[in-house]
Amino acid sequence: MEARDIVRDASIGARQAPPLQGAAVRLRAVEEGDLPLLVRWMNDPDVRFWLHHSDRPDATVESVRGRFGLTEERFSNLVWMIETLEGRPVGHLGLLQVDPHHKRAELAISIGEKEWWSQGIGTDAIRTVLRHAFEDLGLRRVDLHTDADNARGIRCYEKCGFVREGVMRERRLRYRQPLDMVLMAVLREEWSE
Amino acid sequence: MRLRPMEERDLPRFVEWLADRDVTRWLAAMGEPPTLDDEREWYKRRREDPESVMWSIETIDGELAGTVELRLTPRAKRAEMGIAIQDKSLWGQGLGTDTVRLVLEYAFEDLQLNRVELTTDEENTRAIRCYEKCGFAREGLLRQHRLIDGRFGNTLSMAVLRDEWEKGK
Repeated sequence: MEARDIVRDASIGARQAPPLQGAAVRLRAVEEGDLPLLVRWMNDPDVRFWLHHSDRPDATVESVRGRFGLTEERFSNLVWMIETLEGRPVGHLGLLQVDPHHKRAELAISIGEKEWWSQGIGTDAIRTVLRHAFEDLGLRRVDLHTDADNARGIRCYEKCGFVREGVMRERRLRYRQPLDMVLMAVLREEWSE
Repeated sequence: MRLRPMEERDLPRFVEWLADRDVTRWLAAMGEPPTLDDEREWYKRRREDPESVMWSIETIDGELAGTVELRLTPRAKRAEMGIAIQDKSLWGQGLGTDTVRLVLEYAFEDLQLNRVELTTDEENTRAIRCYEKCGFAREGLLRQHRLIDGRFGNTLSMAVLRDEWEKGK
């Protein structure tokens, strides 16, 4: 099967995110047993500060299960847990809205264990998932939007090949305050490991 | 021009229009032209979605002209607008501009939103001119974002904020 045929396969969302191996991390599909950990991360104020949904009510096992589509088949979202090489889960990331026609997807990532911030874990996880997106899924474009004041995140995305495409003014609220978001993307043709 | 809730009886005209390449050229979200069953399924999903507000656009004479939608993200006080004048004999007559202005008034005054955004084909100069007339500003260019007729094209991202809209009223 050619790479692009995998994307055309309508079962992409029904299929679980496949295990992926990076230099410093392992990526595996989210399981029911991960939900309490995800809830703890999402409700940690320091983590939540940077989440697009910071202004939603506190996360619960039910709300997280709904977001990750563990109760229903979501055709376009692939979500992985990020584990250290020792097998400790430290965060999660997703390729969302995987679009087989336009061959693009949106990246979302959060490192929930704060002591792992700025340790290169996120960069390695993103590089690993970009390789999967471009080489296995045959995508052409991966984009994301992030808070304009998230300097650490933006630096990491730039290291992974993302370039800025625009600024979306007052696109979200953080604790009721409007906040600009930066739109970034990496194309397959400009991506290199 | 008048906006009214979309009704099931509108769907056959949409199916007819959405088989026309002149119309779908600008609608990157479309895959294959929908059948009437596809369109019924789509209509049902949208009606059940509390974050979607859908209207049919009518001329003064009560002729169906197209559709406009707000997709809401309440926690961020924003919405994404999608508009299509699907009857191409009505293109270039200001119907779209009137519609966008009316929907912005609803978004900012009735729904109290802070931001309305949209994306459009970079080559859709007629639509971009209309959005700019209504107060939208360009915010970004999504490279190779849409595949049209085997060719990758760029998508323009635009938005208008509440205080800008109030000044421009």
